[in-house]
Amino acid sequence: MYLYTKYEGGEAGMRHWLWILVLSAFFPALAQDRTQILVYGGDFTDLITLDPQIVYEFSGVMIADNLYETLVRFEGNDFSTLRPGLAESWKVDRGTDAWILTFKLRRGSRFSTGREVTAKDVVFSFERALALKGPSSFLFANIAQLKPGATRALDPYTVEVRLPKTASPQSFLAILTFTIGGVVDSEEAQRNAKGGDFGRDFLSQNSAGSGPYRLVRWDRGSQVLLEANPQARVKPKIPRVILRYIQEPAVLRTALESGEVDIAEGLTPEALRALTGNPRFKVVRADTLRLQYLAVNMKEGSPFANPKLWEAVRWAVNADELVQGLLQGNATKIQTLIPKGLLGHNPTTPYKYDPDRARRLLAEAGYAQGLEFELLASTGICGGGVPCPDVAAKLQADMAKAGLRARIRTIATAELLNIYRAQNHQMVLAGWSPDFPDPDGNATPWSDFDARSLAWRNSYRDNVAAQLARQAALETGVEKRRALYRLLTERVLREGPYVVLYQPAQPIGLSVKVEGFLKNPMMSVPLWQVSKQP
Amino acid sequence: MAAYLLQRLAYVLLVGLGITAVTFLVSQVIPIDPAVAALGENAREEQIQEFRRRYGLDEPLPVQYAIYLQRLFQLDLGRSLRTNRPVAEDLKEFFPATLELALAAFLVALALGLPAGIWAALRQNRPPDLTVRLLALLLGSTPVFFLAILLLDLLHRQLGLLPGPGRLDPFLFPPPRVTGMVSLDALLARDWPAFRDALARLILPAFVLGAASAALLARMVRAAMLDVLSQDYIRTAWAKGLSERWVVLGHALKNASLPVLTLLGGLLGGLLSGAVLTETIFSWPGLGRYVTQSATSLDFPAVMGVTLLVGVIYSLLNLVVDLLYALLDPRIRYA
Repeated sequence: MYLYTKYEGGEAGMRHWLWILVLSAFFPALAQDRTQILVYGGDFTDLITLDPQIVYEFSGVMIADNLYETLVRFEGNDFSTLRPGLAESWKVDRGTDAWILTFKLRRGSRFSTGREVTAKDVVFSFERALALKGPSSFLFANIAQLKPGATRALDPYTVEVRLPKTASPQSFLAILTFTIGGVVDSEEAQRNAKGGDFGRDFLSQNSAGSGPYRLVRWDRGSQVLLEANPQARVKPKIPRVILRYIQEPAVLRTALESGEVDIAEGLTPEALRALTGNPRFKVVRADTLRLQYLAVNMKEGSPFANPKLWEAVRWAVNADELVQGLLQGNATKIQTLIPKGLLGHNPTTPYKYDPDRARRLLAEAGYAQGLEFELLASTGICGGGVPCPDVAAKLQADMAKAGLRARIRTIATAELLNIYRAQNHQMVLAGWSPDFPDPDGNATPWSDFDARSLAWRNSYRDNVAAQLARQAALETGVEKRRALYRLLTERVLREGPYVVLYQPAQPIGLSVKVEGFLKNPMMSVPLWQVSKQP
Repeated sequence: MAAYLLQRLAYVLLVGLGITAVTFLVSQVIPIDPAVAALGENAREEQIQEFRRRYGLDEPLPVQYAIYLQRLFQLDLGRSLRTNRPVAEDLKEFFPATLELALAAFLVALALGLPAGIWAALRQNRPPDLTVRLLALLLGSTPVFFLAILLLDLLHRQLGLLPGPGRLDPFLFPPPRVTGMVSLDALLARDWPAFRDALARLILPAFVLGAASAALLARMVRAAMLDVLSQDYIRTAWAKGLSERWVVLGHALKNASLPVLTLLGGLLGGLLSGAVLTETIFSWPGLGRYVTQSATSLDFPAVMGVTLLVGVIYSLLNLVVDLLYALLDPRIRYA
């Protein structure tokens, strides 16, 4: 079949080369067992590092999650039950001046390098995160208030972590499930360290973990190759995974349809509709923890300094139409600040589209003739895969019927964030994803002015809300915590500067042969659970 | 000659300096904060300050520029704000893909444009000429993204004749990286399935990228050939009874090639500067995609590195073209 195999290793004349050139186009690649390789296509251009203590980009987190193990972990979409990871058990004690968390490591876990995972690797990894000060290090340093030296190895299989009493041990445990808590082989990292970088350069493009896969190769902008880690405790069903960068949605669809990729992430709503009718494919809707919201600036001098006006805005947006129409059902209408899937989510949706009521509120506030203001929106894609300018235009049309006349200004996301952070906006269409799968990832930034996050950006100063958020973060009793979040969500729903619109879902197209695929709301994909039928 | 060369090389240096100054100024006009662009919506104030300190963004602009130049003279292009890697490393990673695609597209342009132009000139105003001119008009005016998606859909998805986007079948193991050009690396590794696939995957993007150049080249060659073919010495050549092949290729083409050469230099330069659309549609990890991503996050060390690289390549290509003039036309001498 292959005419020119006889030239292998030998000298080939010019004419033969020409033949090879011509023929090469028409022969398919060698047939191989494609059930042993999984190809995942999508836009992975945000990938800049695979170092677990540094990585903070969607693609990077998704991959690193398959290379490293954490002490504790969540499974699937359940973010309320912690499960054992490298640690087979753990306990939280209330010390006199600190929280004391003790983790017992399971014996016999091995890194891809062959070394056993021990307490000193855990200590090294945690100290490493604090020393490298990567984009996710604030999770350890600020949220958990973990200090250098606070993690100790009591024996090769026992790790103790001490946290200040002002920190929430629940949040810390949730943070530990994230890649920053991934345990690296300390010897391998130190052996490859350059100038005190804790192996940062090395681990950005090599792996030294105990996860089900190890990194074989990363061709930037092109593909990432993972292979089963022979030492791993958890054996993957498919030994080789390839992540292929495909940015253009039309091309992605072509690649899925021709079988060049098994999983396609980033398809347009039309492509998804077409796939739904085709028996060779299926569509999975992955939940996210993202919220798409409108926020008004309460700063003195802003048109929205008057609370009557925020109230008017709440009655002037038609989230139902937005979700069913523009978003094609790829989202859930939500109005409170904790997304579905996290403890403390409050499903209440008291505000319906009622332009007359909004108009009355405007009149009561002294704007019988209506109000004109600027609405900032990104030029990029909003939650649910729809361009933000389209979402803004829909909101503009809804609000106009209530006398709220928005002038839309669309700008690059980075520029929008600049204006938003400088409190120079009047109304903004923005998105938020919690930094870690715990309600406090939303509660504090949204309600505590002093946290200098969203509440601060919108000049929302509410001591009661801030106090509730702090109290809930430190509460260790699940039911008590839930009750506190109930109070907080109700309060911010009515008095905060936010109009939460929806929680998007992420649709992903798959070949029907692919089984066991799941993408959880923190964007992690347990690739080792995926299998493929012939 | 040596003096001329030195003078021209000094000129390349000057162009490089000019490029850095302009790029630096432009980066200041854009109202985006690179720290915010790199760190995203949840970034804290402390993180932003730390980022500015680490990359020297808190220094006054002239100081930043001076530091940049100082490093540049030590051949250090700085660190990318987005990938946190030395820009030179990033360029080493992305440039070979562009080079591979550009060379293939250049070959396509030559292989299609040159014979078509000659043929059209020889059959002026007859069906072959009209066909070439019509095709050149069509190919030259079809938007790249349209042509790309059309051909991918037809030749890959519908007919299955050619492979899809990307540089290599994902089910094949990529050859060890030597030059960074997958087809060449596969050849060096004597990995025939990979070589075959890599070549097959070059066909569509190279055609799409080279089509407009081929069209331009065909028209240029046709015009230049028509001009030369009407001259006295060609009539003499015909009169001497020389064969068509000898007259056209031996006498006419050489003299018609001077204006064509100028065009070729520009074409290759253009192809090398990275083709954003072609690279995006064919998932080709080249300079074009690298620089668009860098630009949107205002990663100016990266943007500067690419601009500088492309600027220097352009200047050097121009120099090569000028030197080739002397080779082709004995009347041209550089003192």
